[in-house]
Amino acid sequence: MNRLEATKALIAQLDREPIVASLGHPAYDLFAACDRHENFYTWGSMGLASSIGLGLAMARPDLRVFVLDGDGSLLMNLGSLATIGWVQPPNLVIVVWDNEEYGTTGGQQTATAHGADLEAVARALGAAATATVRDERDLTQAIDLALADPGPRVIVVKTKESAPAVKPPLDCVYIKQRFMAAIGNPEAATTGGGV
Amino acid sequence: MADAPEWATGVCAGLHACGSRHVVYVPDNPLSHVLRVLRDRYTDVQTTLATREEEAFGIAAGLYLGGARATVMLQSSGLGNSLNALTSLLVPYKIPTLIVISMRGDVGEWNDAQVPMGRAVRPVCDAIGVPHVTVESGDRAQELVALAGLTAFSTRVPGACLLPRRLTVPPARS
Repeated sequence: MNRLEATKALIAQLDREPIVASLGHPAYDLFAACDRHENFYTWGSMGLASSIGLGLAMARPDLRVFVLDGDGSLLMNLGSLATIGWVQPPNLVIVVWDNEEYGTTGGQQTATAHGADLEAVARALGAAATATVRDERDLTQAIDLALADPGPRVIVVKTKESAPAVKPPLDCVYIKQRFMAAIGNPEAATTGGGV
Repeated sequence: MADAPEWATGVCAGLHACGSRHVVYVPDNPLSHVLRVLRDRYTDVQTTLATREEEAFGIAAGLYLGGARATVMLQSSGLGNSLNALTSLLVPYKIPTLIVISMRGDVGEWNDAQVPMGRAVRPVCDAIGVPHVTVESGDRAQELVALAGLTAFSTRVPGACLLPRRLTVPPARS
């Protein structure tokens, strides 16, 4: 199962849940799988997708928030898992596409190619539910659970690289504004006004 | 409760006045006064401790995407840890956040390791497009923090309030 196939399988199970995608190939594959308004594509800030997801889950407890992270990106911000373990947002689902390489930068191996176990880290730092899956059947079951049961949940998905050929919109403000409108808090309603 | 310094009660009143009900922070010694006032007097403000300042800005960005106005509180040293988050997420996406920075490295500093980043705070903010204002006295804290928040959330840029060491750690009177 490559990351694009896995992303398509995930999208097929979702309705209008917001998705925060880590920069580079995870975001490119999300765009290729389905360009929903509820997709927040990051173009920078490697490592922060899970943190953005945490803040969104805190502000909108009525939504189930999905994060599409990468193994290299999550390794850059492991402290985020400790904060998530502390805050315990029940509505946060972090999916880690673990291809054991920095796919966007030329395929250099990450530490997960040498035994680093991101599910074990997530569990140790307080995620309420964790899994590692390696095929589409197990991924589908894991997402079923994520949609039914409270988290915070971390699902490590062992994938192959998919070499995406398309990219999401480049306009950051456009991405933000259509995302905020799609999830029910349009930006015009949240800014401005007096002190 | 021990009397909180005027600047600290002002910071809390200012961030509350501009609609912020979330404070994401990495603590330092002076900011402990602010955190105590928030705990005792502003029970509607949720505080979240991040492991690193860059992470705090990520959480703040997510809060904004969900319709909330977040304040990030940090020491000046932590601004160095935050630059990629500011320059590749908050500034280009126009995601506003009120930033409260407890200064080190300015006048009154004793630790040489705090000086280079402390001196760089204002030029770095200027270079990356983050407006900043310095709170020079405790009786101006509420007003300036509230105005910085108003500008940030109205114009959709992160905006910083700097708390100099001479304000937060006044020299002992003899």
